[in-house]
Amino acid sequence: MESINILEVSNLTTRFRNENGYTIAVDNISFALREKETLGIVGESGSGKSVTALSILKLIPEGIGEIMKGSVIYRDADNNEHNLITVPEKEMRNFRGKEIAMIFQEPMTSLNPVLTCGTQVREIMRAHLKIKAKEARKKAVALFEEVHLPRPEKIYSSYPHQLSGGQKQRVMIAMAMACNPRILIADEPTTALDVTVQKTILELMKELQEKHGMSILFITHDLALISGFADRIAVMLKGHIVEQGTATDIFNSPSHPYTKGLMNCRPPMDIRLKKLATVEDFLKAEGKDENGQLKVLFSPENIESAEERLTRHLQIYSRQPILEVTDVKTWFPSSYSLTGKPLRMIKAVDGVSFQVFPGETLGIVGESGCGKTTLGRTILNLVKATSGKILFERNELSKLNPAKLRQIRKDIQIIFQDPYSSLNPRVTAGSAIEEPMKVHHLYDSRRERKAKTIELLELVGLESNHYYRYPHEFSGGQRQRVCIARALALNPKLIICDESVSALDVSVQATVLNLLNELKRKFHFTYIFISHDLSVVHFMSDRLIVMKDGKIEEIGHADKIYAQPKSLYTKTLLDAAPNFSGHMK
Amino acid sequence: MVKFILKRLFYGILVMLGVIVINFILFNILPGDPARMMLGQRADIASVEAINKDLGRDRPKMIQFLNYLNDLSPLSFHNAINPSSYWYLDPLKYTNATQLVQFSKSAVLVVKEPYLRRSYQSKKPVDEILIEGFINTSVLALVSMAFAMILGIVIGIICAVYKNSWIDRVSVVFSVLGMSLPSFFAAILFAWLFAFVLADYTGLNMAGSLFSVDDMGRGEYLDLKNLILPALTLGIRPLGIVVELTRNSMLEVLSQDYIRTAKAKGLSPRRILIRHALKNAMNPVITSMSGWLASLLAGAVFIEYIFDWKGIGLVIVNALEKYDFPVLMGAVLFISVILVVINIFVDIIYGWLDPRVRVQ
Repeated sequence: MESINILEVSNLTTRFRNENGYTIAVDNISFALREKETLGIVGESGSGKSVTALSILKLIPEGIGEIMKGSVIYRDADNNEHNLITVPEKEMRNFRGKEIAMIFQEPMTSLNPVLTCGTQVREIMRAHLKIKAKEARKKAVALFEEVHLPRPEKIYSSYPHQLSGGQKQRVMIAMAMACNPRILIADEPTTALDVTVQKTILELMKELQEKHGMSILFITHDLALISGFADRIAVMLKGHIVEQGTATDIFNSPSHPYTKGLMNCRPPMDIRLKKLATVEDFLKAEGKDENGQLKVLFSPENIESAEERLTRHLQIYSRQPILEVTDVKTWFPSSYSLTGKPLRMIKAVDGVSFQVFPGETLGIVGESGCGKTTLGRTILNLVKATSGKILFERNELSKLNPAKLRQIRKDIQIIFQDPYSSLNPRVTAGSAIEEPMKVHHLYDSRRERKAKTIELLELVGLESNHYYRYPHEFSGGQRQRVCIARALALNPKLIICDESVSALDVSVQATVLNLLNELKRKFHFTYIFISHDLSVVHFMSDRLIVMKDGKIEEIGHADKIYAQPKSLYTKTLLDAAPNFSGHMK
Repeated sequence: MVKFILKRLFYGILVMLGVIVINFILFNILPGDPARMMLGQRADIASVEAINKDLGRDRPKMIQFLNYLNDLSPLSFHNAINPSSYWYLDPLKYTNATQLVQFSKSAVLVVKEPYLRRSYQSKKPVDEILIEGFINTSVLALVSMAFAMILGIVIGIICAVYKNSWIDRVSVVFSVLGMSLPSFFAAILFAWLFAFVLADYTGLNMAGSLFSVDDMGRGEYLDLKNLILPALTLGIRPLGIVVELTRNSMLEVLSQDYIRTAKAKGLSPRRILIRHALKNAMNPVITSMSGWLASLLAGAVFIEYIFDWKGIGLVIVNALEKYDFPVLMGAVLFISVILVVINIFVDIIYGWLDPRVRVQ
């Protein structure tokens, strides 16, 4: 049975203004959304997927972007067709929120902070349905109940900042569902949320779809996430749709190399690859020899066998630990008395002990707020521990004098999460890398330092002429490479990677992970790898710490924890992680 | 909220204590003999000494300070019997005093209105002089602020909505002009233009206060038209600032995600602008305007001087000329109280505008 197309997008082209003219963000794309189906649009940042969604509802900011051509035909319940592109703005309001509702990526910023959740849900009903305020209130509370919010009456009069991220997204969904729309556009609705929360939100969307029979346009960067959710999928790359088809077809026999690349650049959970495949590998290998690089990536040589791993581990764990953390607590006061004494404490890190051995990668995984970042900063002494001992090569960090501490600082470096904000926009890449050398008087002359910097740039896969470039001239992946080079500038022994690849696209993520591993093999670094992403942590780590509420939930060998998690929390965490299993055969 | 206000009041009292100490030290190291000022240069030593004794200036500085504190504090100790004591509970000095506790035959603890002493010049109680000036000043300040806020917010919103249109560009130019126009110059310019050149059409006076004295002998009457020019002049700079702040803050808010959400909900543009954007955009405006209001209440010296508006600014200028210490000391305290009170009010407004501020 062929169901009808509720939304037909044809030849849609949207462009944005930039310093030198225009960039085409969405280039001549066509697709259709059928009744009651879920269509997934997958693409990385800059692929034009969000612009597509905004173009459908004509929410492209005026003066910055414009729809150049194309049509968006919406078929209403009475089978009348409307071309949304040509509908005047005043009429367009009747479609927004009523026929087509939208939920956005960031529930934190997408809700108005100064209005109560109830008001925000009520006003959409008051705008579209002819109902009284009292009735709208009742309906809003019922909606909150339908999206499984606890104590809906209380939520009704709460402000957004009083709710958790997941609850905010539920309020957003309630708002979108308020007028019973026939189409729900979800633009990365779960990207800002923890995996366990993500799972429940997806379940809720599925439930609502079945109950109300609406169509969902689901936009995401995560192919694995959409695999169990969408009926059909469109893959976008640089403003084009490169492939579309049913989910089963796309996952079992992807035709475009980009899709293949996307599927393979996520670290697999079952085998241990030495080097990850990248999207670039697939794009380059397209149509060329089958014995090339691709083949190598899938050959047994690229897989670390259990025996290899065991011998490596035997060697690592026979050494003296490089870092010993004993019962460390880091508490922050959250409220003060009148005289300035702390009344309540947030226990960010609450009694954590572990050891790190030279040459290993210790993964720390946990959801937001579990204390993993604070732990990393406490080790670096960027945040003072409230109590406990941290020994680096048998020196207790808190008892060292400033001069000695400075010496040790050189040996421990950190790579932060956001390469956009962790580089000073007014400092060139070269000076950013050179600065720590200067501070620690590492080389004698300027020339030597510069030579070393260029060597580092080349080591992390950049070019020597990048020395004079400013951060904004780099892409996200390149910036993170600069950050890595900066961390390497002091020849550290221990490097803490704090969500170092989380802000990057999956395809870029794979290349950065490969780089980190390659550097480790070359220079015998020790890593502490902090991340919320289970598959990435698994790929990187020898041993693993699962954290929750400032405490260690579980610690052990990575493979063992993934195969047989001991704690219940680890198990829910692993279950919630999206994977391709739903469609792979 | 109550706890929050109490806390702010407590800090406010601490600030006031600090101000009192500094106030006392400053005016006691300044040269000048009040007795000579009151009696003139040719007074005899006996009467100078009598006055000094009456003012308590023959005591050590520490005792003088304690006396000063005792005079200011609403709760104070006094001598109820002996009129020659400095501590004597003189009904001429301490108004509305109610006895709380009697310690001995003479020593009592009372509640009273703070006593700011008397002007050396006019001999009038300082609090009377200040309150009279403050009423005039606050009328002027509130009217000019209301003018600046209402007009400024409306123009600011229009500029933000029609960004880069001619109306936006013209307003921005005028608001920059308004901001950079020195108030004394604007005052002279406006007085000349509207009350001299165009006086026949406007019917305004070059100078004048809130109350005019009638020539026909009918006493004082309210003369509201005298308010127009000074209020306009005072309002011009804040107006420019409000326009600029509202415009920029609205532009920032309008690019926020939640405005996009509101649009996606199909709300009307007016509702998006007023309900969703304006409330979020008001914080910087309130911050800057509360500072302005406070400084206007503390006396817009130039404007009051030029238009002869009998406000607190004029009182201070006159007192400065004549070394009238009690008036100056009183004015400093009075202005500090105004600033503390306004700041507490502003914090309450913040809480109302943005619920996130309410949680500490």
